[in-house]
Amino acid sequence: MRSDARRVVVTGAGIACAAGDRMGELWAAARDGRSPGVRRPELALDGMPGPLAAFHDRLDVRAELGREGLRALDRTGRLAAVAARRALADAGWPAAALAGTEVGLVLGTMFGSLRTICEFDRRGVSAGPSYAKPLDFVNSVINAAAGQTAIRFDLRGVNATVSGDLTSGLQALAYAADLVRGGRATALLAGGADELCAESLYGFHRLGLLCGAGSERAVPLGRPAEGMVLAEGAALLMLESLASARARGATILAEILGHGSAYDPGRGAGAHHLAAAVAGAVRSALQDADRPAGAIDCVSLAANGTHLDAAETAGVGRGLSRPGPVPALAAKAATGETLGAAGALQTLFAIESLRNRRLPGIPGLDPGAAPALAAGGGTSTLEGSTALVTAVGLQGKAAALVAEVAPQTTDHDRRA
Amino acid sequence: MSERIVITGLGLVTPVGVGREEAWRALLAGCCGIREVESFDATGFTSRLGAEVRGFEPAGLLARIDPAGVGRASQFAAVAARLALTDAGLPTVADPERAGVAMGTTSGEPREIEDFDDRWLAADYEGVRGEFVNRYRCASIPEVVASEAGFRGLNIMIPTACAAGNYAIAYAFDALRAGRADVMLAGGADCFSRITYSGFSRLGAIAAERCQPFDRNRQGMVPGEGAGVLTLETWEHAAARGARVYAEIAGYGLSCDAHHMTAADGDGAARAMIQALRDSGHRPEEVSYVSAHGTGTPTNDRLECAAVGRVFGEGAATLPMSSIKSMIGHTMGAASAIEAAVCALAIHEGRVPPTINFSEPDPECPVDCVANECREMPVAVAMSNAYAFGGNNASLMLRAWEAA
Repeated sequence: MRSDARRVVVTGAGIACAAGDRMGELWAAARDGRSPGVRRPELALDGMPGPLAAFHDRLDVRAELGREGLRALDRTGRLAAVAARRALADAGWPAAALAGTEVGLVLGTMFGSLRTICEFDRRGVSAGPSYAKPLDFVNSVINAAAGQTAIRFDLRGVNATVSGDLTSGLQALAYAADLVRGGRATALLAGGADELCAESLYGFHRLGLLCGAGSERAVPLGRPAEGMVLAEGAALLMLESLASARARGATILAEILGHGSAYDPGRGAGAHHLAAAVAGAVRSALQDADRPAGAIDCVSLAANGTHLDAAETAGVGRGLSRPGPVPALAAKAATGETLGAAGALQTLFAIESLRNRRLPGIPGLDPGAAPALAAGGGTSTLEGSTALVTAVGLQGKAAALVAEVAPQTTDHDRRA
Repeated sequence: MSERIVITGLGLVTPVGVGREEAWRALLAGCCGIREVESFDATGFTSRLGAEVRGFEPAGLLARIDPAGVGRASQFAAVAARLALTDAGLPTVADPERAGVAMGTTSGEPREIEDFDDRWLAADYEGVRGEFVNRYRCASIPEVVASEAGFRGLNIMIPTACAAGNYAIAYAFDALRAGRADVMLAGGADCFSRITYSGFSRLGAIAAERCQPFDRNRQGMVPGEGAGVLTLETWEHAAARGARVYAEIAGYGLSCDAHHMTAADGDGAARAMIQALRDSGHRPEEVSYVSAHGTGTPTNDRLECAAVGRVFGEGAATLPMSSIKSMIGHTMGAASAIEAAVCALAIHEGRVPPTINFSEPDPECPVDCVANECREMPVAVAMSNAYAFGGNNASLMLRAWEAA
């Protein structure tokens, strides 16, 4: 049994994405089958169809962060800062308490600030090197959003950025949890952020991963895989030691019990090998959490509507290796593919579903598509307290995390 | 669970040589890898100095991956990893699922973006390679390393800019101690790019004539490129196969200034050093050598020396503290990984590399910078400092290996 100083709990969350700014809102969108993607023909390049994209146009960054210093932050930095502000407030960390404590930040991001980098470079090339903007260069480093967020909220503990492709968010949560378990931190914000831009939309289009002209929504686990809706967003959880949370009387939402990861040296080229990596990540997460497969009450999948879903579901099935279907959640049906934000969003989505005792369902999914999983609908009940959260990368990475909803809070209204 | 983590292999790709032996001999001899930039047209820049890895031919140095399919930083990383495995006498591992990779970088694969931008500006969208996303992602660096090594365990990229190598080594150290792996390849990689070069140029940070850390007349840093990868193992794993041990990782400290993106405040640097000392169980007076961040910019060196003065007190004035950036420039995310390898070699061989181009002491940098000539001296405990954009600070502690 780990001591209270080495147990990792979630005491708050902050999210910002097109599907919702609070988890209740996002979960309702999932239950009601709303899709966040909007066709953006003005972002189409060279014959591609107007991409379905989930920009968070409703987000009033100025109202959220104030005018001061806002120019220094690019889109990824702004999304991360909004999520951090919300998570700090939700977890009950006033600015005064932050000044006396070394709260850290571990931010997962797939691209950092791709748009800023491209704009800096193109200006330098087209106008000459003396016209490239120094401020853009500062934000071009991949850890810029984490650094900017730390400056804004005086986060002087460990400040790290993790870039793990589509597993970035889960890797960030795992890294932060280990810093607490190892006694190197008592409280950290952990999760991730990514912007959405024409450059990334075109890149994913060229990889053939976006929903084509014929589909108006992403259908996770759908066969055939019709593609994903690319989204922007940020999500951060406040992770802290159980001892710290108790000492300050914080509301405990869940406990991070363990995590695991694996890599397919074939770089994901063969679905079978990628599934083996997912299974390995699941098994190592269960071992780390000291829970049998039978203890998992639901799995919160990274499934986004692409070919990766099949490898993920096969790997989860093999990793859990138990009879009967496992209740399954697919947050990306509602959020789109939020890249770095996804791991924290999936974890929160599982916590919310377990607290609601309901499976939100996966709109558009043929019930026969994934027999090992029970996706349910708005009225299916979900019992239990423990979730497995999984993620799979484009080139061979797999990650898994086990979280348990805190019993004392299952009947409370969530604040965020 | 293993308490003691050892360094058993070193792989280096630097502007003064590829491979542990070639690079180490060059650094001890004070060789300078800084020249006029060749890899892109630097016309129009006020300074044109760079530390590039010239004539790099990865194909013959790799066992598994095809270098043509990956970016230049990934090529550096994969070669450094292969060299680190060969150096450790570990061509294959018994249990690949307990073998992992942790890497750091500042810019990932910026040349992939440059190629994309050139085509974008020419409206040549068809010419954008379908694999742009896969090649550009900095996550590809540890993936390519693990594919070269055949490692199936932990695989993480920690892109905390110019302190990233130390972050990656620190991550691997904790992962090994927590029993998540038996072997880790850990380090950093970055490649030279017009993006990084223009950025430092626009910040006015690049020296026009030479890189001369701690010198009163120092003018700035020089961008560089390369990779450093360390083979790290639990002592039990290394002992079971009779591996040679260079040194032991003794601990680390991380902190964040939370002050300014590019201007350090010195307080965070001191906190990272103090944490690293505490974590390693060493007192300041036990430290024999400090590998400085020492970029050669007026501000960095002044603040770093002030922070070292606060941490080491009166002993700071006589503490040997050199910067190999005087010879290989600032290799960004690779810098602290290469410097950790240098600390391990300093401990193993009892020699420390110099700070070259030093002529006039600066009263604001009252340290022994091992001026111009390498020094033979026993190194029992070494500290390696790294500071980054974003106010990220990381100090790593290494010590001589003595089996208990």
